[in-house]
This record gives sequence, C-alpha cells and structure tokens, in this order.
Amino acid sequence: MSTCQKAARPLTRCIRESQSASLSARTIRNFTSSTRQNEEAAAAVETKPPRVWDPTTVTSRKGEKALMKDGVMPIGSRRRRAAISTSDNLPFEQLPYQCFQEALRVLRADRKEKLELIKTERLRISNLEAQDVTNIKGGQKHKDTRLESMRRHLEYLKIQADINDPLIKKRFEDGEGDMNKPIYRYLADKQWRKYQHKLITQRIHQLSIVPDLLPHFEPTADVRLAFRTRQVSPGEFVDSRISEYPLRLKVQVFDKGTRLVSIVVIDSDVPQLETDKFESRCHFLATNVPLSPTINSIPLSQLSDSNVVIPWLAPFAQKGSPYHRYSVFVLEQGSELNAEALKAIPRDGFKLRSFKDKYKVTPIGMSLFRSEWDEGTAGVMQRSGVDGADIEFKRKKVVALKPKQKPRGWEAKHASTKYRALWRRKDKSA
Amino acid sequence: MAQHTTTTRLLTPLLSSFRSLVLSSETTASATIPKTMATSTRSFSSTPNLAARAKQAKTSDPRVNLIRYHMQHPKTPRPLKFSRMRALRHWTIHRAWMLARRKATEAQEAELIRMHQSMHRACEELRNFDAPGKKDSGRLYRIAMEKKGIFGHGGVPIEYARPQTDTPAREAWNHGWTR
Repeated sequence: MSTCQKAARPLTRCIRESQSASLSARTIRNFTSSTRQNEEAAAAVETKPPRVWDPTTVTSRKGEKALMKDGVMPIGSRRRRAAISTSDNLPFEQLPYQCFQEALRVLRADRKEKLELIKTERLRISNLEAQDVTNIKGGQKHKDTRLESMRRHLEYLKIQADINDPLIKKRFEDGEGDMNKPIYRYLADKQWRKYQHKLITQRIHQLSIVPDLLPHFEPTADVRLAFRTRQVSPGEFVDSRISEYPLRLKVQVFDKGTRLVSIVVIDSDVPQLETDKFESRCHFLATNVPLSPTINSIPLSQLSDSNVVIPWLAPFAQKGSPYHRYSVFVLEQGSELNAEALKAIPRDGFKLRSFKDKYKVTPIGMSLFRSEWDEGTAGVMQRSGVDGADIEFKRKKVVALKPKQKPRGWEAKHASTKYRALWRRKDKSA
Repeated sequence: MAQHTTTTRLLTPLLSSFRSLVLSSETTASATIPKTMATSTRSFSSTPNLAARAKQAKTSDPRVNLIRYHMQHPKTPRPLKFSRMRALRHWTIHRAWMLARRKATEAQEAELIRMHQSMHRACEELRNFDAPGKKDSGRLYRIAMEKKGIFGHGGVPIEYARPQTDTPAREAWNHGWTR
C-alpha cells in the first residue's frame, strides 16, 4: 500500500461511514436536526407536507426544479452540493489537513505571544499615565509623546495579533467584518487604498478640485454617492432628472470613534455674466451629522431639520455653459456648530476655503459628479423654482486685431487661368 | 518521441506564421486569385468598405499569434486554480511559514548578537585585567586581539585582493591608498 493510500484511508473510511449513516437514517446531521425532526414527526400525523429542499444540499433534478420554481437558485454545482450533503459539517479550522493544522498551531502560538505583548503594553501605558510629571525627565511634553507612541504601538500590536487569522480574512472578504474592531478597519483601509483612494485622488487632480476649491486635500475617508438606486462613480456625468433627488452618501471612516461632520455639496462652475467669471454655489449644507465606522450611511433626504442648514437644490447646468462639477465634501468638526447661525450663509458665492477656516472644520473625504445641459434640465429647473432655463450661454466672439491673411502657397499664387498649363490634370479637365 | 513533439510544438507556430505571411504576400502580389475569390463570395453588398475591413482583420501581429498558440494549446496545462476554501488554507499555511521563518531568522540573529556581546565583554575584562604601567600589562588582551589565522591558514586579508582583469591596470598598485 502506498503512503498516499495509507494517509487517505482514515479519511475515506470516515466519508464512507458518514455516507452510510446518512443513507440509513435519511438525515443529514447538522446543528438543528432535532427540532426539525420533531416538526416533521408532528406534521406526518396530519398530512404529508411538501418536502423542504435545502439549496445548499439539493442534488436531485426534481429538488432543483422545485426550488427554482419557488425562486430560490441552488447554491454551487451539483457536485459541490453532493459533497456537502455527504460530508460531516466540519468547521473550517478543524479540517483534517495536517499541514493546515500545523500552520494553525503556529499562528495560534504567535497570537498568544502578541496578546501577552498587548497586556504588557497596556500595563506600561497605565503605569506611565499614573506617574507624576515631575518625576519624568522631559516633563509633560516628553510624557505626551511617549504615551502617544506607546498607544500607536498598541494599535499596531492589536492588528498584528489578528492579521494572520484566516477566518477574519474570510469574514472581511464576505463583508461581514465588524468595523468596531481595529483589524477590520485596517483591512478596509488597505482595500480602499488599493483602488478607490487612487481613483478619487486622480479625479481631484484631473478635475482641478484642489486648486479650485481647496489649497490642498488628502482624503482619508471613503465617500460613495448614489441617487436613489443609481450608483455614481467619482466624476461621472449624471442626468439632471436623476440628480434631482437628494444624494445618498456612504461614508466609511477608518479610525475609531463617533464624530460630527458637516456635509457640503458645491457647484464650482456657476457662470457669472457681470464679472465674466465662474463662481461657486452651495447646493446643500448640513452640520452636526454623527458619523462612525459603523454608522456610515447618510441619506441627505432623511437628515433632520435641525441638521440641514441649506436644503437640497437640484443640480442644473444652463444651456451652453461648460460642464459643472458638483463636489460633495465631508468635513470633520472639532466641536458642535450652531446650525441656526450658519443659516445666514448665502447659497451663491459659497467659498469652501473660508467656510473651512471660519468654522474650524477639516475635510476628510470627498466625491464628485458632473452635470451638463440635457433634455430634462428645463423641467428640473422649473420644478425647483429656478428661472433661466430659456437662457443659452454663448462665448463672446473675439474680433481678431490682425487682418485676415490672404491664402498663401504655390496653389494660391498660380490660381489665375494664366497658369492653366501648370495646373494638375484633374483641374484642367474641369 | 517526447523530444519530437516538443520540437514540432515549437516549430509549428513559426511555420504557420511564415505560411500566413506567404499567403498574404501572394494575395497582395497577384490580383487574379482575390478577384476570383471575391466573385465567388460576394453576395449582395458590393461596398469597398467590407473588403477593406477583411484586409485589416487578416493582418495580425505574429507575436500575438505565437502567444495565442501557446496559451491555447491543448498541451498547455490549465492555470492553477484553487477553490475559495482551499485558497484560504493555502494562505494560512503560507502566512504560518513566513512567520516561522522570520522567527527562526530573528532567533539566529539574536544568538549571534549574544555571542558577539559575550566576546566583547570577555575582551573588556582582559583589557582591564591588570593596572597600566607594567611591561606585562595588557599582554593577554594583545594576544586576544591578534588576527592570526582569521583569513585561513596562510591566507591574506580580503583587502589585498584585486579584481581579476584581462589586461594589467595602467597603475599596477596604488601605494598611496588608505582606508
């Protein structure tokens, strides 16, 4: 008998046994078998109930058809379903692969070490906190820096303790991660920086958000936009009929704690005829909106009136004006702002720079969309009570100072019939 | 046999690309063949646009052909694909292996550092062994500092080595060199 066979023998036997057991008892052992059996027994007395098919284990064509009729698609291939139904339902970390089990043992030992380190680091921090400033050499400043670096190290250790766990990885990939835990926030941040962060930074520079609206800006939070069910990727052109309804924001922050944010939607391309310049206009402003890693959905239409300072104005780009950039900024507040006092801010001529400086808010994330004149814009403007739908912007014709040059070159010189002999054959015939 | 198949596998795409090149050159050179072909295949539309498109499609990059040949050859093994759970197991083992290897390296380095420090401490002890002033003081330390045999027996320090070149240097030995 080869070593391979020898190694596989207990496994095959196990599978065979489970199969025979399942065939004899007509049941698949799972966690809720007892209650289900009782139910079935109770029902059998009255009438024969329709058989309940499990989409994860159904293998017969009949069962599949019955399920599909109910609108439930069977999960995976039939082969996979058969494998699941005949194997005992082992949890992932107990799968009988030797190397895998050894690896898990190594990782568990490492995690234990890391937990010890975390414990000692916590003790050190509490000891330093309890110490009097006069006993520390560098004074308060030194104490603060040391505490900060120790806390940073503690966060690092917390992540290192969990980063090798396959189940955590799986849960994160399935989108079931608990954002209150540092490891999931860390993984989400990594994921975001892999693509979305790069994309939004590129858009910020391509569409000149940075010199136009803010002197410099580095986003640290993920902001996703949607109008009802329409997802909007950064910088996309959105039909004015779709953008008529207030935005839904999904703001994911990657550091712990609840904070208050302000949300600003600005149109930075409003043409001003008097000054022959472009200005910005605020389309929405809300303050004191609570935001945390878990409370991340902000539908602008469902914010309470105490939060909303400037209500939603549907984006519109008048005919002939170049495309308008509508940027949505999420600004973190240092403290609670007075929403009533903010209501004095006018819609037109809103300046993000001065708002940021005056109210001590820091931008943490942004996203944007663009809008142009389309067939729905006139209706949108009429419905939102904005006049000017009949105006069409046109570029002023610049009169050239130099007189127009006469045509030059060989052909212009020899245009007269005097040079007919020199013309090309085609022209001569014509 | 195996040798033969590999050679044919390597040669066939080359031959085929060559053949295609020959064919295309023939079609461009002699106008008779395409004309007959065109009359046979032309059905209802006689736009020149179609012919141009067909010509464009025919001229493909031989390198692309070659790559496609090898990627889609039945003997090319399929790419390694793991099911999700198996990939996760693979990842777990990989992480554990990296961790174990790093720990081993760190332990080795720590051991080397420990040994070096121990040697250093012993030398310090020798240096401070007896008070200065006597003729004999520090003798043991001096003996310990000797570098006899550290380049192998009868060896020379590595600083004396010079790169082996085909021709001698313009200046054979730089006598003014200092570290």
